[in-house]
Amino acid sequence: MTQPDFTEHRSMLSNSVADFARGADLARVRKLREGNPECDRKVWTQMAELGWLGVLAPEASGGMGLKLGDMAIVAQGLARALTPEPLTAAAVLAVRVLADSRNDVLKGMLLEGLVSGEILPAVAWQEEAGSLDVNNINVQATPAGDGFRVNGSKRFIMGATSADGYIVSARSGQELVLLSVPRDTPGATLQFDALADGRQSGTLTLTNVIVPKAQVLNSGAAAAESLARAIDHTAAIIGAELCGIMSRSLEITLDYLKTRVQFGKAIGSFQALQHRAVDLYIQQELSSAVLGECLAILDGEPDAKTRAATASRVKARCTDAALLITRQSIQMHGAIGYTEDCDVGLYVKRAMVLAAWLGNGHAHRRRYAKTEILEGAL
Amino acid sequence: MSATAAVDYNAMDDDAFRAEARAFFESEYPENLRFLPRRLTWAESKPWWMALSKKGWLAPNWPVEHGGMGLEPGKLIIYWEETERAGIGRMPDQGVTMVGPTLIRFGNEAQRAKYLPKILSGENVWCQGYSEPNAGSDLASLRTEAVLDGEHYVINGSKIWTSMAHHATNIYVLVRTDKQVKQQRGISFLLVDMKTPGITFRTIRNIAGHEEFCQVFFDNVRTHKDNLVGKLNEGWTIAKGLLTFERLNIGSPRRPLQAFEQLDTLARAQKLFDDPGFVDRYTQLKMDLNDLGSLYQRYVDKARRGEALGPDISMLKVFAMDTYQKLAELLLEAGAEYGAYADEITLADEKIDLMAQFYTSRPGTIYGGSNEIQRNILSKYVLQLPG
Ligand SMILES: Cc1cc2nc3c(=O)[nH]c(=O)nc-3n(C[C@H](O)[C@H](O)[C@H](O)COP(=O)(O)OP(=O)(O)OC[C@H]3O[C@@H](n4cnc5c(N)ncnc54)[C@H](O)[C@@H]3O)c2cc1C
Repeated sequence: MTQPDFTEHRSMLSNSVADFARGADLARVRKLREGNPECDRKVWTQMAELGWLGVLAPEASGGMGLKLGDMAIVAQGLARALTPEPLTAAAVLAVRVLADSRNDVLKGMLLEGLVSGEILPAVAWQEEAGSLDVNNINVQATPAGDGFRVNGSKRFIMGATSADGYIVSARSGQELVLLSVPRDTPGATLQFDALADGRQSGTLTLTNVIVPKAQVLNSGAAAAESLARAIDHTAAIIGAELCGIMSRSLEITLDYLKTRVQFGKAIGSFQALQHRAVDLYIQQELSSAVLGECLAILDGEPDAKTRAATASRVKARCTDAALLITRQSIQMHGAIGYTEDCDVGLYVKRAMVLAAWLGNGHAHRRRYAKTEILEGAL
Repeated sequence: MSATAAVDYNAMDDDAFRAEARAFFESEYPENLRFLPRRLTWAESKPWWMALSKKGWLAPNWPVEHGGMGLEPGKLIIYWEETERAGIGRMPDQGVTMVGPTLIRFGNEAQRAKYLPKILSGENVWCQGYSEPNAGSDLASLRTEAVLDGEHYVINGSKIWTSMAHHATNIYVLVRTDKQVKQQRGISFLLVDMKTPGITFRTIRNIAGHEEFCQVFFDNVRTHKDNLVGKLNEGWTIAKGLLTFERLNIGSPRRPLQAFEQLDTLARAQKLFDDPGFVDRYTQLKMDLNDLGSLYQRYVDKARRGEALGPDISMLKVFAMDTYQKLAELLLEAGAEYGAYADEITLADEKIDLMAQFYTSRPGTIYGGSNEIQRNILSKYVLQLPG
C-alpha cells in the first residue's frame, strides 16, 4: 500500500517546518561568513527529533519511509529560512545510498545514526566539474587484505565540514564500489573551499587508505544504479530548495516594490517593474509546477532514463528561475540590494550554490539533450 | 606644474600617442594591481596617482593651463582605451573626473586655484554626495538642506552610497537651498571638507563583503559660502551637464574584455569548446561585444567631430551593462561546480575569480542612472513616447 495518510503527513511536515522557520533568524546564516561551522549540531539534533532526517529512511532504521514529495516540503521550507545545515546532502543523498546497501550491519548502524542525528555521513562521489556520470571517476580501490587500498581525490563534497565520515565511490577493476571511510581514517585528508553562501565545499584526498571488507557498502551494477538514483533524487530536492529560495526572494522584493517610494509613487507602480515582477512570478510558478509533477514521477520509480530526464527538468528550470529571480531582486532594490546587510544578497548567494551543486542548468540541459533529443534523432 | 605638461599631445599622430600611452602604462603601472575585479583603495592607488601626476598625465580631460593634458575627444578616447587595455584599476578618481571639470566649467578662479592643485598632488581625495536614502533614481527629490548663516552654509541631512567616502578628504554635495520652487530649481552644488565638525559617517559593506561605500551624516555642518559652485540654485544644471561625455567611457567594449578572457581560459580548461551548446552562447556574447564596439565607435566618432552627445547615448550604457552581466553569468555557469566558489580558483595555471567578476558586473545597471531610468530617458526623449 502507498501512504494512506499522505495528506496528513504532508501537513504535519509543513507545519513543523513553518514553526521552525519562524523561529530561525538570518543572523546565524550571516555568521557563516566569519567561519562559523555550517552545521550546528544542536540544531541538527532538533531536526532529527522533528523526524526530518528520516523522512526518506526506511521505518526499520527509525525513519518515516515517506516520499520525495514529502521531503520536498521540508527542503523547500528550510531553504526559505536559508538554513545552512546539510539537510539534502544527508537526508536525501546519503540516506538513498545507505538504504540500498547490501551490508546490513553497517547500513543499520549508519542509517540509524543518521536518522537520529548522531552520525553525519557525506557522500563523496564527484571528481570532475560539470560531470553527472557516476562512472566518470578515477579513485582506485585495489584489493588489499580482505578489503581495499584506496587512492585518489573526490571534490565538491557538500556537508563535508561536519561530516563524521564519507561514503566514497571508487573503481575496482571494471566495478564501482561504495565504501564507508570514517573521518579520522589514516591517509584521508580534507580541504575546504569557501562557497558563495559561506558554506564549504570539501575535497577529500585518499592516500593508501585501507578499507576493510566490513566497510564496503555496495558494489557492481547495483552500486552504480543506487548512486545514480540517489543523485537524481537529490537534484530534484535541490530543485525544491531553489523553489524555497526564489519564493522568499520574490516575496521580499514584492514587499519592497510596494513600500519604496521614488518620484512620489511606490516603485511598484512603474509598469516596467510590474511586468518584470510578473515575469518572475511566472518563472516561480513554472518551477513549482515542474517540481510537483516531476517529484510524483520520480516517486513512481520510473526507469533510469526517464528518471534522469525528469530530475534534469526540475534542476534546470529551478536553477535558471532562482538565479533570475534573485538577481532581479538585487536590481529592483537598487543600491541597497547590493549591500551585505540586505537579505536578498543571501538568497542570491544560496541560489548560486544550489545552482552549481549536482549539475547546473547547463549540465542538466546537456544531459537531457543527450538522452531525450539526440538519441531519438539518431 | 610638470614640464611635460607643455607637450601638445593633440598635435601628435594618433598612433604615436597610443604607443607612448601604451609604453608608459605597461612599464609603470604596478603589475599586482592589473585587472582587479574591484575598485582600488586610496592606499593602493596612491603610487600610481603620483606617477601619473609627475608625468602630467593624471588629468587627461583637463585643459593644459590647469595642469591637465588638454586632450581633445579623439586623444582622450585613446587614453581611456589604453588604460583599459593595460588593466589599470579604477582609482578614487572623483576629483579628476568630476570636481575638476565642474570647477573648470562652473567654478570661479579662486576655487580652481584652491582645489585643482590639491587634486593633482593627491592631497585631496573627493567623493560624490548626490544620493540620499529617499532620493536615488529620483535624485531631484533630495532633502539634505543648506541654509546661509552669515559667511557659511549650514548643512543638515544625510547622503548615502557615497563610494569610498571613508578614504576621502572632501565631498561635493547637492543640497536643497530653496523649497518653494520646482524641485530641480532649488538645488545647489557645494564643496565640503570631510573633517568639518558635524560630519560623521558609517561604512557600508557591499554584497561581496567589501567596504565600498558610506552613509554620510551632516549635523549643522558649516562650509564657507565661497564653496558654492556656480550660482545659488544652479546645482541641478551643473550635475546634469557633466554626465553625457562620461557616459561614453562607461560604454567602452573593453571593460568586459577581461571577463571574456577569463571565460576563454575557463572554457579551454574545462573543454567546453567540445560542447556545441556552449560554443553557441560563447559566440553570441563574443559577437555582442563586437557589436557593442560598433555602437561605441559611432559615439566616439561623433565626439571626435565635436558634435554634442544627446540622450540617445543612454543606449550605450544599457547595452554595455546588460552584455557585461550576461558575460559574468555565463562565466559562472561555465565554471560548473566552481561557479559557486567564493574565492579565486586556479585552472590550467591561471587564477580566475569568478565570483568577484559576478559581483562587479551587478551594480553597473544600478548606479549612474539605472538601466530602467536609461530606458525611461530613451523612451521619453528619443522615441518621444507619451506619458
Ligand atoms: C556600487 C554603487 C556605487 C555608488 N556610488 C555612489 C556615489 O559615490 N555617490 C552617490 O551619490 N551615489 C552613489 N550610488 C547610488 C546610485 O546613484 C543609486 O543607487 C541610483 O541612483 C539608484 O537609486 P536607488 O539605489 O535609491 O534605487 P531606487 O531609485 O530606489 O530604485 C529601485 C529600483 O526601482 C527602479 N526604478 C526607480 N524609478 C523607476 C522608474 N521611474 N521607472 C522604472 N523603474 C524605476 C530602479 O531602476 C531600481 O531598479 C552608488 C550606487 C552603487 C550601487
